[in-house]
Amino acid sequence: MEIYRHACPRNCFSTCGMLSYIEDGKLVKVSGDAKHGYNQGRLCAKGYAYTQYVYNPYRLKHPIRQTPRGSGNWKRITWEEAYDCIADKILELNERYGSNLASGYNKFSGNIGLLHYAVEGMFNSIGPHTKPVGNPCLITGEQAMRKSFGQMNRMMPEKMAEMNAIVIWGANPAVTNVHQMKFILQARQKGAKLIVIDPIFTRTAATADIFIQINPGTDRWLALGVAKLLIESNMYDEEFVRNQTVNWEEFHQYVTEQVDLHEVCRETGISLDVLCELLSIYSMPKPCATWIGFGIQRNENGGQNISAINTLAMLGCQSGQENRCVYYSHSGIDDFPVNLLNHEGPVHPIVQHSREIDINNFAENASKLVEPPLKFLWIALRNPLSQDQDFQAWESLMKELELIVTVDLFMTKTAEMSDLVLPAASHFEEMDVNVSYWHHWLSINEKAISPYYEAKSDLQIARELMEKLNERFPGFSNFPSEREPIDWIREELTPSVKKLYSIESIDDLLESPRLRGEEGKNLSSSAFKFRLFSEENTDTSTYSMNREKTDVEESYPFQLLTPQSLLKIHSQYEAMPWLNQGAEQAVVELSEYAAEKRGILEGDKVELFNPNGKIAAIARISRFLPQKVILVNQAGKNPINRLIAHKPQENPGKSSMNFYDSSVNIRKWCETNG
Amino acid sequence: MRQMVKQMGFVFNVDLCFGCMACEIACRNENQTDSTVRWRKVSRLTDDTFLSVSCNHCNSPECFRVCPENAFTKRGDGIVQINSDLCTGCGLCIEACPYGAPQYDPVTQKASKCQMCYPRQDRGLPPACVESCSTEALTFVDLNTFCDKKIVGSIPGFPDTRLTNPSIAFYPATERKRYFLK
Ligand code: SF4
Ligand code: SF4
Ligand code: SF4
Repeated sequence: MEIYRHACPRNCFSTCGMLSYIEDGKLVKVSGDAKHGYNQGRLCAKGYAYTQYVYNPYRLKHPIRQTPRGSGNWKRITWEEAYDCIADKILELNERYGSNLASGYNKFSGNIGLLHYAVEGMFNSIGPHTKPVGNPCLITGEQAMRKSFGQMNRMMPEKMAEMNAIVIWGANPAVTNVHQMKFILQARQKGAKLIVIDPIFTRTAATADIFIQINPGTDRWLALGVAKLLIESNMYDEEFVRNQTVNWEEFHQYVTEQVDLHEVCRETGISLDVLCELLSIYSMPKPCATWIGFGIQRNENGGQNISAINTLAMLGCQSGQENRCVYYSHSGIDDFPVNLLNHEGPVHPIVQHSREIDINNFAENASKLVEPPLKFLWIALRNPLSQDQDFQAWESLMKELELIVTVDLFMTKTAEMSDLVLPAASHFEEMDVNVSYWHHWLSINEKAISPYYEAKSDLQIARELMEKLNERFPGFSNFPSEREPIDWIREELTPSVKKLYSIESIDDLLESPRLRGEEGKNLSSSAFKFRLFSEENTDTSTYSMNREKTDVEESYPFQLLTPQSLLKIHSQYEAMPWLNQGAEQAVVELSEYAAEKRGILEGDKVELFNPNGKIAAIARISRFLPQKVILVNQAGKNPINRLIAHKPQENPGKSSMNFYDSSVNIRKWCETNG
Repeated sequence: MRQMVKQMGFVFNVDLCFGCMACEIACRNENQTDSTVRWRKVSRLTDDTFLSVSCNHCNSPECFRVCPENAFTKRGDGIVQINSDLCTGCGLCIEACPYGAPQYDPVTQKASKCQMCYPRQDRGLPPACVESCSTEALTFVDLNTFCDKKIVGSIPGFPDTRLTNPSIAFYPATERKRYFLK
């Protein structure tokens, strides 16, 4: 039996170190890598199901083409034919429009290994084209963190085990980051209190010592309310505010004049007693961790919520700032050159830059493009027809596109609507190198088995397709097709990266994943300046406690939340029988209040609708949901994101998708409404 | 039944389990069982607790007692084994076990169940489910020698243990405060 070292490349906090066990060229088993200090030899349920992912009867084996698009009339083709068809289109569009701006891609986080930036590298290598910018996931919060602290925090998540209290605002690690739970529960075993603040009684909430249910999107009021109590009872750290904050006067005045505790209680739905309980946690002169989940920033007041929570966390630091840490995310990738992403393409005589479209409104913006319009779209590492918003815009964009190519392991909703589908390799079938957006470990991913049938990695596809283009049109692409995966990895390990991770070469990583050294100790704590919450941080105009009810809210009174489910990541892992024993039917959870209002009983077939569309589902009535919240899991046969559509954002590329600002209504299913 | 030299058993700490199902799927990864066969099962015990349970390698195993083919044996270390060569798939053990441990495997048309990963234990490794549990909610010990005052024999929601005397012990849940919206 051979054993290889891997990194799980899913869009997941844990980016686990993993070992594969290979017999006769076949993956027979996986396990956690005991040398990885974060996952410590364990995987999550999804990780343990990887044998089923690799040898899944639904996995795509060959390149296929369907005519006409959407008909399901698929024919197997060779890679040669696929490359020819794509190269023809790119070259023809280039001739028609005089540049490659009519060609573009949409890619996100299906595999977060560094070599998967091959998609960007490939498009860069043909010169100016059309590309998505921004990040639907966590960027609003990242900006708010930088605004508060001047930089991203560098605290290791393993340190949570040493805290005396852990307050989690809207994160659900029991589902999305299972390996963090051991550090949290270790702290708890030593007597620490775990407090969870969330509108939903999540699995993490179930584990908590104290669960505080809050009206969705009102976190800033709770944080400001408790901060006011801290100040009024003189339990904040005066020295800290004097020396290390930049806007104390202003904040103090704001809290005194504008934050009214009765209003806080009304807005958040939380009583004063509970506010005092939080006060006692935050004023404790002992280490206390605050963890802000990504859900907190997926609404219009996201940046404010985070800024207010940061302020509360730092204000209470009586016994010094080291005792206070706020966890959000780790920007481990910033240490690397990410050469594929930053590959410089040839200069175009007239067109100077690529055309950038905000990924959060990609379809709508892409359909508006003229001179030239977007005609060829490459979709990789993403399933927008399940996970994006505004499907109507996608449908109209697709009508305008002359060629859609999707690279994936499975026949996703998006692949179903493509002309060509190319089979992608799993991470056991390719080499890569991975860092996490949460912990500080660097891991190599070895190639353990040969690709499933004709599957190829994104990098391999880029190499071959660009070579093809150059054969047809010498010098069309400057992609270094001769470079092997290992060459790209070597180049990521720059001298500074080697120093940071104390490695000499790639061989050290083959021995064991490596922990990033802690730097920044030289940064004297007095140089650190913190920006307290201020009203000018306001992201958008609707910053008022007593917002007028709009018409939309009257006809669609329920707020739709779509959290991750335990055995999936977005729409990934849907095809695995070990992980999908339940019914295929979508399930919606509604409150007892909503059920009573609409005459819905447990198990009824219901319809969830808003102006964007409707979906059918089975009702599950929950005693624990806030009255006006409706919960549906992501993905499935009829993805819930059909009901999500948003106005274009004011600062493209700089904010996350407000997935959680959607209003819906619900009623019993009746054949005639269908 | 004669006193075993050892009685290996599971210890389940309710406070540390958050229902992640790693143990259940790690069991399948190890044993490559069919997707309808669940040697280990994670379920919700109460509103805020979970239970992960497999075969309990009981002191008085009902499966052993009811099996007409005498397919079950109890090893010296207490592990209850089923010999699939002898099993005819009659399903009596499946009905008799209070914990739903033996499972009908539609592929082999026989009953099968958790064997406490004895091949791993024989090599000095912990059972795969125990190894996978990141919080150590699920551990295994020799119950003949293990003692801890905080341990209890059963918890609310767990099937009646009087019939089979299962080799499992629990750390019960601690009290938790909940503030729900009104
Ligand atoms: S748990 Fe069930 S199958 Fe296992 S020994 Fe006890 S009675 Fe037999
Ligand atoms: S001991 Fe082994 S066979 Fe039994 S439940 Fe655990 S992993 Fe499965
Ligand atoms: S792996 Fe541990 S925490 Fe997860 S469900 Fe199993 S027993 Fe519970």
